[in-house]
Amino acid sequence: MLQIVFDSLSLGSLYALGALGIALIFGVMRLVNFAHGDVIAFSIFALLWPSTDAMAIVFAGQLPWYLLIPFVLLVGAGLSVLCEIVVFRRFRRANPATMMIASFALGFVIRYFLLMLFTSRPKSISLLPMLSQPVEIFGARLPLLQLITIIATVIILIGLTLFLRRTRFGLEMRAAAENFSMARMLGIRANRVIMGAFALSGALAGAIAMIFGSQTGTVDIQMGASIMLMAFIATVIGGLGSLAGAVLAGFLLGAASVIMQVVLPVDARPFRDAFVYGAVILVLLFRPQGLIAARGTKERV
Amino acid sequence: MTDASLSTLPPALANPRKPARFALARRTIITPILLSLLILAVAIVTVMTGSRPFNQAMIDIMVRVVLVVGLYIFIGNSGVLSFGHIGFTCLGAYAAAWLTINPLMKKTSLPGLPSFLLEARLPYWQSAIIAALFAGLAALIFGKVLMRLSGIAASIATFAVLAMINTIYSNWESVTGATSSVVGIPIVRVIWPYVGAAIVAIFIAWGHAISRSGLALRAARDEPTAAAASGVDIPKERLIAFAISGVIMGLGGAATAHSIGVVTPDTFYLGLTFITLAMLVVGGMSSLSGAVIGVLLLSALIQALRWLEAGVPLGSTTFALPKGLQEIALGVIMIVILALRPAGLIGNREITLFRVNRNK
Amino acid sequence: MSLLVLANIEVRYGRLTAVRGVSLSIKDGDTVFITGPNGAGKSSLLRAIAGVTPASNGTIDFDGYNITGKAPEDIARLGFSMVPEGRDVFGSLTIEENLMVGTGMKAKDRGWKAKRAEDLEAVYQTFPILKERRHGQAGLLSGGQQQMLVIGRALMTNPRLIAIDEPSLGLAPNITDQVYERLIALQSLRALTLLIVEQSSTRANLVGGRMLLMRGGQIVLDGDARELGNSAAVQAAYFGYEDH
Repeated sequence: MLQIVFDSLSLGSLYALGALGIALIFGVMRLVNFAHGDVIAFSIFALLWPSTDAMAIVFAGQLPWYLLIPFVLLVGAGLSVLCEIVVFRRFRRANPATMMIASFALGFVIRYFLLMLFTSRPKSISLLPMLSQPVEIFGARLPLLQLITIIATVIILIGLTLFLRRTRFGLEMRAAAENFSMARMLGIRANRVIMGAFALSGALAGAIAMIFGSQTGTVDIQMGASIMLMAFIATVIGGLGSLAGAVLAGFLLGAASVIMQVVLPVDARPFRDAFVYGAVILVLLFRPQGLIAARGTKERV
Repeated sequence: MTDASLSTLPPALANPRKPARFALARRTIITPILLSLLILAVAIVTVMTGSRPFNQAMIDIMVRVVLVVGLYIFIGNSGVLSFGHIGFTCLGAYAAAWLTINPLMKKTSLPGLPSFLLEARLPYWQSAIIAALFAGLAALIFGKVLMRLSGIAASIATFAVLAMINTIYSNWESVTGATSSVVGIPIVRVIWPYVGAAIVAIFIAWGHAISRSGLALRAARDEPTAAAASGVDIPKERLIAFAISGVIMGLGGAATAHSIGVVTPDTFYLGLTFITLAMLVVGGMSSLSGAVIGVLLLSALIQALRWLEAGVPLGSTTFALPKGLQEIALGVIMIVILALRPAGLIGNREITLFRVNRNK
Repeated sequence: MSLLVLANIEVRYGRLTAVRGVSLSIKDGDTVFITGPNGAGKSSLLRAIAGVTPASNGTIDFDGYNITGKAPEDIARLGFSMVPEGRDVFGSLTIEENLMVGTGMKAKDRGWKAKRAEDLEAVYQTFPILKERRHGQAGLLSGGQQQMLVIGRALMTNPRLIAIDEPSLGLAPNITDQVYERLIALQSLRALTLLIVEQSSTRANLVGGRMLLMRGGQIVLDGDARELGNSAAVQAAYFGYEDH
């Protein structure tokens, strides 16, 4: 039982962090960023030398953890901001559908850039190997990594909440997310806020990459895609544009996945994700605005 | 957009009597005819060259015309992006496979099929029609839920549909062969059936576009508030377009299956979604001519890049582009076109005989 | 001295021209009403000055700077504070957070935190109801309170000029009275310039100051609000009798 709770929480953590990264950007510029999954993949591949071998040659990965973590977060944030400056800035006045396709195309560019350097073969890496030993907690044996994942996510969420509630920049971001045009009329610099959102979202992508990479022990260029999809769904269920909703829905999806895994008969387990998507579609049938409808996110006409 | 919408909030919608409809049909039928002639011309040239690889490349193009026109029917008319349509192509392709593979082979490779499918061995054109209807039915069911969502949420949810279909088909060992290839689909090497499918798709798209439902949907795309206020039931009109485009996507799936003889779930996933969307966007999302021209242009480009990736002898050395550059180039072209000409190369217009007409 | 100078401003939305060639100069410390019927182009003119929907033609100078085509945030930073129609409070933020949003632009000045606290106290003194509910969600305020909040929020940026689009929209007359009362008091206290858009000229007649009447995207009448009153000239200009 406890095992299920921890499994749900750690899977939900990934989805929640992903959803948060997408909701942050959606909030300030109504962009559904399909490139987010590829930013996740890129930030972990930045640790490797380009090569076609199945065993990854880690270069920056040799760093001690206290340098490794900031490095990956910075790579994620850097790439994300770069995407903003090079691509998304040209689409500020575009409609959401156009921006969505542009981000989809950008994601492909990043993914195939990685493919060019690393091929599409999955690579095994060992990040932070000391985290794989199990620990005993409340009588359940859990991998230490799972515990750390949950703790790290909680820290990130609290940190982000404090940042948004207590700092000047956080206030500006919340105001901009609610009414961007009004915020600008109060002197808030559009570029700064949007770049800030991209940087945060990219750093979150880096965090996901670290967690996911250490959990699975492998990296491949498609790795972001599955998390990203669940994260998207979480943002829709959570009510587009609501940060709290996105996080909550992320954890819900994590729990739903783990419970399905347990409840479903063995034959049906490979279809777990399909069942989750099906459940999501059913939820949307009854709550088309998401479980937690956000204010001020009516479709821009 | 405003300009186009003024001409699309059409007299025919306000006054949907027969004469107006006939006039509209007469005025616009030149577009599908010209597009069909263009495709026929390509096909005739292909047959005259008599080259096998060229023939296959042209068949690929015809299949893509079907797919991109299918995408256009929904995306172009509704303005709502869908990432899920290739899922319906997947359904169509597998349905065609189930219906046409030699029963002896099916009994060993796909033992879980129900007996009526196990026994079935239809000619390709019958299987294609059934496959298309099957995909259309699936689109109707999914669409019933998805079309209630707002535009952005619907787009994301279509992505979930794609992933859901992919997950099921990648794991249902006894029915879809999971991730391994399903082989033994009779291959059709003549170009004409594919040309026929492309032309049928074009005419269906045109027929939908000038129908009451198509006009209402485009009005809703350009002026959502005004259209809703004048009684357009947006979810319903979107659903109709979604189902029709599902049929065409299924037809395209069957065509894909018969053109290569092998299907795997990953043939019909993100890669194909990306390429078909790129073609639609480059040509012009809200134009039927744009859809067809986008396919022709990008197919030529992809072919050239493939040729370079394979390596070109250049003096004593071989010059080859690294693998993956093809997709990168496509992505960059897509972004540049979106930034500079968000409406695509053709824009909002359709080709006609005398002048380039503004969105019918 | 002129604070705001417009020369030949034109605003277009696609084929539609909302403002056709408006030239105008507003003196520092003035109260200026822009009135006119629905669709006269009043809001469009205001939005063009604020940089929200850039003018397609003409030049705008504010406080000696050419602000034509500048971003809204840069215009705000020069001291032009816009209160758009429909009030646009940040509903999920608290009242105090709403007031603080615009104060960041002064963050480079020395002693800005002390100044900010002072400003906040001043706003609370003008609108005691805001202080009472300072930690409540802004979205839960009544219409009149929201109007006070957005005026307070504009004041927090220490503007030279406040432009308000239809402050009386959707408010009961007595609430509108309160809002105006405080606006006028603030103006004399802070040497503010006010640019107020209202559909009817009634309010302008009461408050006084300069009144412009817009119709069909042009200024058709310009004069002292009290002198013009509800004269036949105003009536004719407002309803466009001369066209018939």
